[in-house]
Amino acid sequence: MDEVRLEADQLYKSHFGKMISSLLRFSNDIDLKTAEDLVQDSFSAALTSWEKDGLPVNPAAWLFRVCKNKALNKIKESKKFSELFVDEAVYPGDPVLAVFPLDDQQLILLFACAHPDLSPKVQVVITLKYVVNLKVEAIAKILGMTIDGIDKLLVRVRQKIKDEKIFFFEPVAEELESRIHIVHKILYLIFNEGYKSSWGKELIREELCEEGLLMTRALLKSTIGNKETSALYALMLFNASRFKGRFGTHGELLDLEEQDRASWNRDLIGLAFYHLELSRGELISAYHYEASIAGIHCSAESFAATDWKAITILYTCLLKINPNPFVELNYAIALYYSGQKNEALAILHKLETEPFFSQYYLLHASLGKIYFAEGNHILAKKYFTDTLTLTSSPAEKGFIQRLLEKVIVTSRYDP
Amino acid sequence: MEKFLLLVREDLNVLKEIGQEEHYKGIRLMMKWVESLSESGNYTGGEPLLTTGKYVSRDNVLSDGPFIEAKECISGYIFLQAENLEQAASIAQTCPLVIQEKMVMEVRPIMTLNKTLLDG
Repeated sequence: MDEVRLEADQLYKSHFGKMISSLLRFSNDIDLKTAEDLVQDSFSAALTSWEKDGLPVNPAAWLFRVCKNKALNKIKESKKFSELFVDEAVYPGDPVLAVFPLDDQQLILLFACAHPDLSPKVQVVITLKYVVNLKVEAIAKILGMTIDGIDKLLVRVRQKIKDEKIFFFEPVAEELESRIHIVHKILYLIFNEGYKSSWGKELIREELCEEGLLMTRALLKSTIGNKETSALYALMLFNASRFKGRFGTHGELLDLEEQDRASWNRDLIGLAFYHLELSRGELISAYHYEASIAGIHCSAESFAATDWKAITILYTCLLKINPNPFVELNYAIALYYSGQKNEALAILHKLETEPFFSQYYLLHASLGKIYFAEGNHILAKKYFTDTLTLTSSPAEKGFIQRLLEKVIVTSRYDP
Repeated sequence: MEKFLLLVREDLNVLKEIGQEEHYKGIRLMMKWVESLSESGNYTGGEPLLTTGKYVSRDNVLSDGPFIEAKECISGYIFLQAENLEQAASIAQTCPLVIQEKMVMEVRPIMTLNKTLLDG
């Protein structure tokens, strides 16, 4: 029975989105919600039948067949025979198993989700739902949204997917090329959601990073991938190499300075440098700069021995193509460690006066760390205490609490 | 990518009534949203605005502006980069305070002026 569940789970992960897009191609009478219900029904039917009679020889084919029959029944119910025949004329043979012009169905679906009219958040949600095949509960958890919120978003977007025929994406070279930036962004965001330290150690997050890496690799291996894809892949690999090192033995968050560099995965770092090398070309994207910065960190022997000067230069370039206060914050931190203390503090205090940014916990945490390093325990204490009120993540709160205690212990020896 | 300005509009009467805690809670929600927009490369800047101000025309300066009587007022602005107007609008729609019906946003494409024509 466990074997049956495992097989069904795996098929769900690999086939949910594909079955839905096949159904949508199968008939215009099936809307997205109905298609999802039909696929869901087929999976429950499969579980019941397989638990009773054992696994069929080809479980995937079994599912497709059951799903097709359910779809045919559904269409008969709505008595729209004529349109059914039109569809059969368009797709001769077995329509549910129609062959796509490009063989990687997952990649085609990914490009379909990269519709330029959708916001990045919506693109990520539908990619997680129809390409990565995650359930709504998991998506809500990952994106820090409520299940209700995801459902509402999906209701709105399903209509749009139908109206604009978003899943009928034709993978022609021109369209693929114009969408590849958006696809990169989606993959970057998915990887980052998995990488965010605010969640602490959670298995689902590591899986998400893996999905991001696997899809980027698939893109790279296809004919569509370009040098920007290589840079993005290198960036992901650099970060993945530090995945385990970011948490201590008790699952507590460690910052770059505290991490045991021996725990970083050297193979992944090597692979990352290989891809960073491959990404060299005329065009330099934000991923190139970010990967190069990550590469400097990964190859530094220690925190102190890091080439902060090079990092500040890379951040200056990044700010030119992606100007925003979040990048500025990182730039300021790099400036501080490269020895340009006054310039760094000037930027941080400027950010502090901006009403939006003054509520950003990482700004206060950074100021706290810098004042602690400068031996100004009073200001360090103030900024860490402020930070505690600005984040609700237990992992981050724990991290700041630890720093605060360190300041208090050290300040006992203050004159 | 094209540039857009999001004008944040809020109900003046509601703004007057909410306490400081509620106000800062709103700002923190906005902050989180802005953080995700920064990650996706869409956010380039923005600030909240006070609801006081001056309204200027050739003949007179009205010190408290005409908007004091209005129901809605512009309480902030955000600069975005987006693929097109549709995407900019759907980004605005993902703002948590818009979802909670605490604010509405006006999405305006920023005009690019032809420099050679301006000089001519």
